[in-house]
Amino acid sequence: MKPPLHQPTSLAEACELLDTLEETMVYGGGTAIQILIKQGVLFAGNLVDLSRVPGLAEIEETAEGLRVGPMTTLRRMETSEVVRRRVPLAAQTYGHVANPRVRNTASVGGNIAHGDYRLDPPTALLVLGARVELTSVRGTRTVPIRDFFVDFQVTAVEPGELITALHIPAAPAGNSSTFVKMSSLGENDWPAASVAAQVDAERRTLRLGLGALAHVPRYVEVPLDGGGVDAAVAAATAAVEPELDPIPDVRGSADYKRKLGLVATEDAVRRAWEEAR
Amino acid sequence: MKLIQLTVNGRRYDVPVDDDELLLDVLRDKIGAYSVREGCGVGACGACTVLVGGTSVSSCLARAVRYDGAELTTADGLPEDDAVVTAFVESRAMQCGYCIPGFVLMAHELLAENPQPDREQIVAHLEGNICRCGTYQEICRAVEVAAERRARA
Ligand SMILES: Cc1cc2nc3c(=O)[nH]c(=O)nc-3n(C[C@H](O)[C@H](O)[C@H](O)COP(=O)(O)OP(=O)(O)OC[C@H]3O[C@@H](n4cnc5c(N)ncnc54)[C@H](O)[C@@H]3O)c2cc1C
Ligand code: FES
Ligand code: FES
Repeated sequence: MKPPLHQPTSLAEACELLDTLEETMVYGGGTAIQILIKQGVLFAGNLVDLSRVPGLAEIEETAEGLRVGPMTTLRRMETSEVVRRRVPLAAQTYGHVANPRVRNTASVGGNIAHGDYRLDPPTALLVLGARVELTSVRGTRTVPIRDFFVDFQVTAVEPGELITALHIPAAPAGNSSTFVKMSSLGENDWPAASVAAQVDAERRTLRLGLGALAHVPRYVEVPLDGGGVDAAVAAATAAVEPELDPIPDVRGSADYKRKLGLVATEDAVRRAWEEAR
Repeated sequence: MKLIQLTVNGRRYDVPVDDDELLLDVLRDKIGAYSVREGCGVGACGACTVLVGGTSVSSCLARAVRYDGAELTTADGLPEDDAVVTAFVESRAMQCGYCIPGFVLMAHELLAENPQPDREQIVAHLEGNICRCGTYQEICRAVEVAAERRARA
């Protein structure tokens, strides 16, 4: 049972195929799908490849930040001048995914739709308050990224829908942020814990995105009441701790990842704070 | 089966491929580019690296049909006096050599983007390639030598 690969040449045709064919699956960069096939765990009747649909790989500067097409590669998010200027946290985080070859092929849409709890980019997108644009024959709707990761490998993408854009607001002036990734097997392996952190100009709010530390990427917002960096670290770790529910695997036991999650949280808060000075 | 057109190292090939055939298998079995090798098969080792219009791709995760019309470079297509290849040879950067075509192509991509990389940038670009013989020090040195040489040429 090899699912056929359909190659639509317009968005309307892609939506039509997703609506009419049985058990469809969107094919983005294919880096996750090809591995699922090799592992014998891909359950799809038809693959709908987006690589021939024009206009899906554009990065546009908008008043609030960026509108990113779903077929934009992760490597372009890392290297593009406009991404680095408008949303440096996103550029930094995308640059930490896998290795340059995977980043050259993997797509922004496929990355979040993959829905894996260990993905790095969601940590930054959660902090930045990105929005996901979903399109189907029924029309277009927008889902905040903070509502996008529903459950273990379940996202808000409904049958027949595809991601047509990611809207990423730029952080207001004076904010500072960073991304910390801790891997236990190799420098560019999946993380055992990752944290994106942002502190606002007034140092009133800390925004944290957690990767690999629960069944879904998690967002944690921490109000600060004017203390220094040590108070911010204490508030952050106290807020993060109850959110930690890591899955044990070859990269570490649940206990190990829980500890690493707190270390990554502290590191990220201190570095973001340092940046802000 | 679909007929696709690939330009590999400047030569044009019209090849019939199945929907799900990997670029890796097409290059080896239908075109004879044996410098493209399978290691991990999951994007993590770089033995199967090819350049598509100058951009590195793991051919083990790439479906050939999606590369219809593409211009590919594989390591066996590089000229004998290629600055990167000669630097690898002179730096004694290979033991068994299995991984080397991948490293050479990653080095080409890096030097095209950044002709004078420092050690940290070299490591960051090559760290997704695995050498089971462990000649990493020599490989990094070879990339530095190639960069110096290209600057002088
Ligand atoms: C060696 C290796 C190491 C890795 N390490 C990391 C790591 O350290 N950190 C990390 O974050 N990730 C890592 N990854 C995962 C990588 O980020 C994902 O494989 C990649 O982002 C998936 O994107 P894609 O475009 O290739 O998706 P695809 O394989 O094309 O698709 C993945 C899923 O998304 C769906 N999909 C694709 N596009 C759309 C769309 N536009 N709309 C709706 N659904 C869509 C597909 O149907 C499928 O369910 C690694 C992968 C590899 C191979
Ligand atoms: S065989 Fe393709 S990256 Fe290892
Ligand atoms: S030289 Fe043997 S694997 Fe690298």
